Amino acid sequence: MPKQLKRFSIEKQQARWGLVFTIPCLLFFALFSFYPIINALMTSFTNRQAVARTSKFIGFDNYVYLFTKDNGGFSMLNSMRATLTFTIGTFIPMVIISLIIAVLMMQLRHPSERGFFQIAYYMPAVLSSVVAASIWMIMFDPRGLVNQLSNKLMLTSGRDFRWLTNDSMLQFSTMIVYFWKYIGYFVILFITGLASIPPMLYEAATVDGSSKWHTFWRITLPLLKPTVVLVSIMAMLQCLKTFSTQYMFTQNGAARQPIDVITMNIYFTGIRNGRLGRASAMSIILFFIMLILTYAQFAVSKTDDVEY
Amino acid sequence: MMKKSLSILFVLLMLVPFSLVAQGAKEDKPITIEFWTHEDVNRQKLEDRYIQEFQASHPNVTINVTRQGSEKLIELVQTSFAAGQGPTVFNLSINDEYPFMAAGRVAPMNYKAAGYKDAKDVIGAYAPKMLDPVTKDGNVYGLPLELTNWCIFINKKVFKDAGLDAEKDYPKTWEDMVAVSKKIVKRDGDIITRRGYDFRYKYYLENCVPMVEQLGGKLISDDGKEAIVGETAWVKFLTYMQQWGPNGENLGSPTYTAARKEFNKDNGDIAMCSTGLYQEARINADNPSFYNSKEWMVVPYPKFKDAVADVSSCYYGHYYMVNADADPATQAAAWEFIAYMLSHGEEYLKEVNIVQPTTALLNSETYKNMPYSSVFTNDLARGHIVYYGANSTSIQSALGTAIQAVMLQDIAPVDAYKELKKTVQELINEQ
Repeated sequence: MPKQLKRFSIEKQQARWGLVFTIPCLLFFALFSFYPIINALMTSFTNRQAVARTSKFIGFDNYVYLFTKDNGGFSMLNSMRATLTFTIGTFIPMVIISLIIAVLMMQLRHPSERGFFQIAYYMPAVLSSVVAASIWMIMFDPRGLVNQLSNKLMLTSGRDFRWLTNDSMLQFSTMIVYFWKYIGYFVILFITGLASIPPMLYEAATVDGSSKWHTFWRITLPLLKPTVVLVSIMAMLQCLKTFSTQYMFTQNGAARQPIDVITMNIYFTGIRNGRLGRASAMSIILFFIMLILTYAQFAVSKTDDVEY
Repeated sequence: MMKKSLSILFVLLMLVPFSLVAQGAKEDKPITIEFWTHEDVNRQKLEDRYIQEFQASHPNVTINVTRQGSEKLIELVQTSFAAGQGPTVFNLSINDEYPFMAAGRVAPMNYKAAGYKDAKDVIGAYAPKMLDPVTKDGNVYGLPLELTNWCIFINKKVFKDAGLDAEKDYPKTWEDMVAVSKKIVKRDGDIITRRGYDFRYKYYLENCVPMVEQLGGKLISDDGKEAIVGETAWVKFLTYMQQWGPNGENLGSPTYTAARKEFNKDNGDIAMCSTGLYQEARINADNPSFYNSKEWMVVPYPKFKDAVADVSSCYYGHYYMVNADADPATQAAAWEFIAYMLSHGEEYLKEVNIVQPTTALLNSETYKNMPYSSVFTNDLARGHIVYYGANSTSIQSALGTAIQAVMLQDIAPVDAYKELKKTVQELINEQ
């Protein structure tokens, strides 16, 4: 083939246009994501403080400090514990229950019924995290709605279930808020995934005498794998980045240590205490935790395409 | 040659008017002052008027004011300075402001612009020691907007409802505080529906360190080397707090609405709170009928029965400071503006109930006639300035952790004390 023809082949033309449309996004990502990450990495190797004019290179001292010292009573190890507890306690039930709700919703015959439940579940996701946390703060107040409902359900009177004062209950409270806020979002994602499965497969399965459970387990779930992987990674990453709920709770008197997630520790270390170098090191550690867990997710899920 | 000399002279003479115009232009150079302060509804009315008056008399000066909640302001000022975009003038509590001074981010006072002769003249205008926290190497770095200490505000009606006479039965000791609160508190099972008193959580340096000092302990040793001095005192204090909380006598908790926020409502939810003289103006603004009913009073900060030192709550000051990165002309204008605002001390006192600790104001009839001002003055004499240092914010957080640990997490006071000592020691070693 002549060289000129090769140069202007259709694939190359398409590739060129693809680049043209992708460049603005890449620039945006470079400016607002890539640059801050590099900046944080560089700062993590310094002793930079918010009010100090100068800083000096200290190598890995910040990282060593975070894993060996107390950080003013709020250690990185405690933050990692709090973050992982929250993540495991929230994202696993969220993925499972949102899948179940999506499957049940798809069984509804009338589209209007389905629409109503979709809106009802999705509405909390529209609220800002701060507003959601504020609403639940009022409800978790000792004299609030949650204690009253809990007393009614448990057939007790005047019992304080310590939603904000007991360590375990406090962690559970933050999980409830997060779960309530985001369950609808992941239900919608699962509904989208379920809707993309060709109905003829279910028809074929019915003809072959497959039970509902067998159909779900052997057809629905394998074909939904890409969506499950997407949802579980998104849910996990969201949980690892949680901040507003924990921050609002601690600002209103709840103990900090049980729910001192990494993002909140970064905030207090960097913004309240002005230790920008140390806070940057924490954010890099969080970045690597997210990277490792995402890779592990991909490895475990074995996202081979399922052919049908 | 002659012609050449005359030409040069002529050119030079032509330039003279231009240089004079340039001089004039410099004097009229537009100046913008970014003024960041914390929210106070009563103070805002005064300040907006002072800003307009100052701008009217200084046409080249524009003042942009930003107001935020006091806690939010700490974070905003810090972040803005880190980005090199700090405000021209700001005020924070001295324990939050001191790091700025220590790092050289705020400018020494321009005495002439502020209407003073020198540092000695400024210091002499204020009550003794009031400018000590902002004086370094013979220079003054801030002027106080307010000096505040906290006493106990009492709602007499709640006392009456509990069968008590506030005038006689008000708590004089911390042990009394427990006893009185037990009589006042109402519960629905475990849930407190009416509190007697509750602490000012988060402000542990101001409100709680004096309790330890009454028992003979210290936050930091006199030589600055040892943290959390006096195990017996600290453990006794932490035990007191543990008994106060939900795992003890259940008289209060950090998770209930802040006592001072409930107090003004006069809805029977709280009998006592710790707050400053400014609360009087806030009661008047929020609930004039309660203010005018005189069914409230102010009593001194209590003392433990076996106290070895008579210490009241720490006082703290909010000082106006000027950004050292501002150019000299802007700094001068900023100091002149600060001095102009602070020249209205009596108005601040009458309208906002905040005290600028000038000798003149503290000796004025206006101050003496403020309701319960003598209680605050007497307590001021018993107290000392709140701890301030490069790590004051972190130390405040560490104190909070220890108190939350004993109150909410059932940690033994001895264990909480040991952890607190280790943490604060690490912080002061860093300093």
